[in-house]
Amino acid sequence: MNAAAAVEENTRRANLRHRGSNFGLTVAFRNISWVLLACLLVLGGVAFADRPSEYQVKAAYLYNFGKFVNWPADAGATSEFDVCVLGSDPFGALLDATVSDSTINGKRVVARRIARAQDAAGCRVVFIASSESPRLSSDLAVLSRLHVLTVSDNPHFLARGGMIQFVFEGDRVRFAVNLTAAQEAGLTLSSELLKVATKVIGTQAR
Amino acid sequence: MNSSKSRNQNAVRYLLLLLSISLLVSISALGYCQSLSQTELAQNGQEPLKELSLEQLGKIEVTTATKTPEALWKTPAAIYVITQEDIRRSGVTSIPEALRLAPGVEVGRIDANTWAIGIRGLQSNFSKSVLVLIDGRSVYTPLFSGVFWDVQDLPLGDVERIEVIRGPGGTIWGPNAVNGVINIITKNAADTHGARLSLLTGNVDKTIDSLRVGGGHGQGFNYRVFARGFVRGPEFHQDGNNFDGWHQERGGFRMDWDSRANTYTVEGDLYRGDSPHMVGLGTLNPPSLGVQTVVDSAVSGGDLLARWRRDLGNGSDIYLQVYFDRTQRIDRSLGESRNTWDIDFVHRLKLGTRNLFSYGAGLRWSPFYIEQSSQTIDIEPHKDTDHAHSIFLQDELQIVPNRFSLTGGVKVQHNNFTGFDAQPTLRALWTPSQHRTFWAAVTRAVTTPSRLEEDFNLTGVASLNPLIFLRVSGNPKFQSETLLGYEGGYRQLFGQRVYMDVAVFHNDYDNLQSFGAPSTFLENTPPAPHLVIDVPYANQIAGATDGFEVSPNLHVTNSWQLAGSYSFVTAGLHAAGGTADISSTGSIKTYEESSPRHQVEARSFLNLPFHFEFDQTYRYASSLPAQNVHAYQTMDARVGFNYKELQFSLTGQNLFQPSHFEWGTGDPNQALIGVRRAVYASVVWNRSR
Repeated sequence: MNAAAAVEENTRRANLRHRGSNFGLTVAFRNISWVLLACLLVLGGVAFADRPSEYQVKAAYLYNFGKFVNWPADAGATSEFDVCVLGSDPFGALLDATVSDSTINGKRVVARRIARAQDAAGCRVVFIASSESPRLSSDLAVLSRLHVLTVSDNPHFLARGGMIQFVFEGDRVRFAVNLTAAQEAGLTLSSELLKVATKVIGTQAR
Repeated sequence: MNSSKSRNQNAVRYLLLLLSISLLVSISALGYCQSLSQTELAQNGQEPLKELSLEQLGKIEVTTATKTPEALWKTPAAIYVITQEDIRRSGVTSIPEALRLAPGVEVGRIDANTWAIGIRGLQSNFSKSVLVLIDGRSVYTPLFSGVFWDVQDLPLGDVERIEVIRGPGGTIWGPNAVNGVINIITKNAADTHGARLSLLTGNVDKTIDSLRVGGGHGQGFNYRVFARGFVRGPEFHQDGNNFDGWHQERGGFRMDWDSRANTYTVEGDLYRGDSPHMVGLGTLNPPSLGVQTVVDSAVSGGDLLARWRRDLGNGSDIYLQVYFDRTQRIDRSLGESRNTWDIDFVHRLKLGTRNLFSYGAGLRWSPFYIEQSSQTIDIEPHKDTDHAHSIFLQDELQIVPNRFSLTGGVKVQHNNFTGFDAQPTLRALWTPSQHRTFWAAVTRAVTTPSRLEEDFNLTGVASLNPLIFLRVSGNPKFQSETLLGYEGGYRQLFGQRVYMDVAVFHNDYDNLQSFGAPSTFLENTPPAPHLVIDVPYANQIAGATDGFEVSPNLHVTNSWQLAGSYSFVTAGLHAAGGTADISSTGSIKTYEESSPRHQVEARSFLNLPFHFEFDQTYRYASSLPAQNVHAYQTMDARVGFNYKELQFSLTGQNLFQPSHFEWGTGDPNQALIGVRRAVYASVVWNRSR
């Protein structure tokens, strides 16, 4: 059997075995999927040993924001610095662990949970949980009268009149600021905070 | 032999290329994973997070919990959300194709511009028994109980999410939400500031281009306008009659205005296009032969919707929506123009601490005009007004606050075909922990009749000599098809990364569309007297479907997400009267064997270094004997690259075979139309402000 005939014979057999070229393609795609899957399962497990969770970092932010905000004098009557969570709490014990043994402006920082916006009197920072989404506008209307810094994950938070909105940049948590809303509530945000924000709506009033 | 050899060589080359790509991807993934571990090492042994500066906090990579919006988590129904990210990364180019991503949804592409869609069985070429809404506007047509999918082709980049509710949604959603509801929600104009230009070109989707410009104040008034056009090529035709290439142009806008407790939305769009299809046309005079003819369907329409929502505080709100929708579809088989006016009002109020009570009303008028173009297809009367008015009451009672609640309600509807229909529901929700939900529901729902079932006439030649015609005719006494659905489900978040959703159902149907006893008579007009065998629509099929869906979602790492579903459905129907099996619709076999018993869908979204993305979607559907369709499996794959404001991607669809069949043509003599392997490239420029 000469070479050409052998090639042809092999081709024919390959054809029979694979029922045409498309079957080969099918097999190829499946192989790729499996190779990739196996590789990533192994590597993925390795890569994610000890990252902090999203809400660990957000809790740290909530605490830190307090250092970069000036409240009007009449909001400072309380003996504690309350960081409040409105709605169903995504932090669990993380927030309490973060603020424990800490002070801001000499006041002990305390984590507090509230069920209604009206209960926010005395809070300096209020994190509005996603469970409040249907009531967001009315919550914010109440909170704006109470001189509190409002923070949320809600994707429309700034547009609805909230002050600080957490945003994701890849796997990193960052935040955007609505300066106008903060000023309307009588809060002054430091330039340091604005510098780090991904986006600032409104301009600094003189 | 020569051609097969060269095909083989091509295949080998293809294979090598693919293997090398996969190798490249694997290697880069390896590198990526390593770089990740290094950042972690850097983080280990550091001071507590709270001691870090804001700037440092912004550099920490975090693990995120699988996101399930609160509302979804606490819904006592089988709800699934297709997100914008799912749509973008799966590489789908139309709404019907995107629906394949949801569990329990059966999507069969009939040809390039027609889809047969079902939820939990009873898949049909009319997409009957599935209610479809776009931003609260119903696109379910009272012409034939179903959806014209070709004219629901929104710019996918503006879709925020698609909520798919499997199972009857009678009380909340109104009529025709029998097997499920598809709720398409576009983005708030506050989220579409800036400019976005999207260009796409490929072998099947020839070109899909869209431009959107948006702006506004952010807190107050926001707007966007868009324009979109596409040309799509034909699918695979064994006879070479590539009739189904189509095109469409669309423009629209959306404005959102927030003022503290009030939210206003005004949106609208206009479209026109051509969706050719094949139809059998004949005459009642000799020679009378019905000839399969390609007809151009000139489609056009538009809509305008205004919505006002006022937050009354304390969990109460009111909601008022008004819309106008015009559709026109003219071709040589039949023409329809329809104007729909709709008003919806809902008031939700918190009563005490435990009750969320809501009530509402809906009014809908839909005058239409039929243009008869062929002797053998008609809907009589040619001019009339359909209406569907409804009121509903519902109460959600927290028996154990945040743990156990019961929701009961009823919707009463009046329509011009069957008068009053009541659709009650009772739902229970138990959330033993923050990460676990059980729910169960019993619901009655109805599909109201349409012009097709009441007033339709389709005549074909049964015999030339002697001249005998067979006529399928509408039945003015056609009743509402009813469903009593029993369902239950379970959702759980395991740790931070694994989400599981399981739902089971038993659906009891009655009065399903069938054909009634034939009658024979002599017809004298038009001249040349001819014999007609008349087969009316009837409601003589009953029975049940059973099934379940399992849909896990796994965030393997922050850069890699796996999701998918397995859906099972089986139907057992029987004749409840003298039903005749004469056609591709309305017979027991068609109902039972037109939905895949087993469906698998799996997808992998992988973020790679240097802003690359690699995404795959696999799917399997078992056979549809009534449609002469075999089981198939296929895969889509996408490589994306994001550079600043630009997103490039290369997508392959239906890669396992040159073409595969998903649905029959309804005519046993006509060859099936294959869904082709497709490849397209796209670039999106997105400048957000």
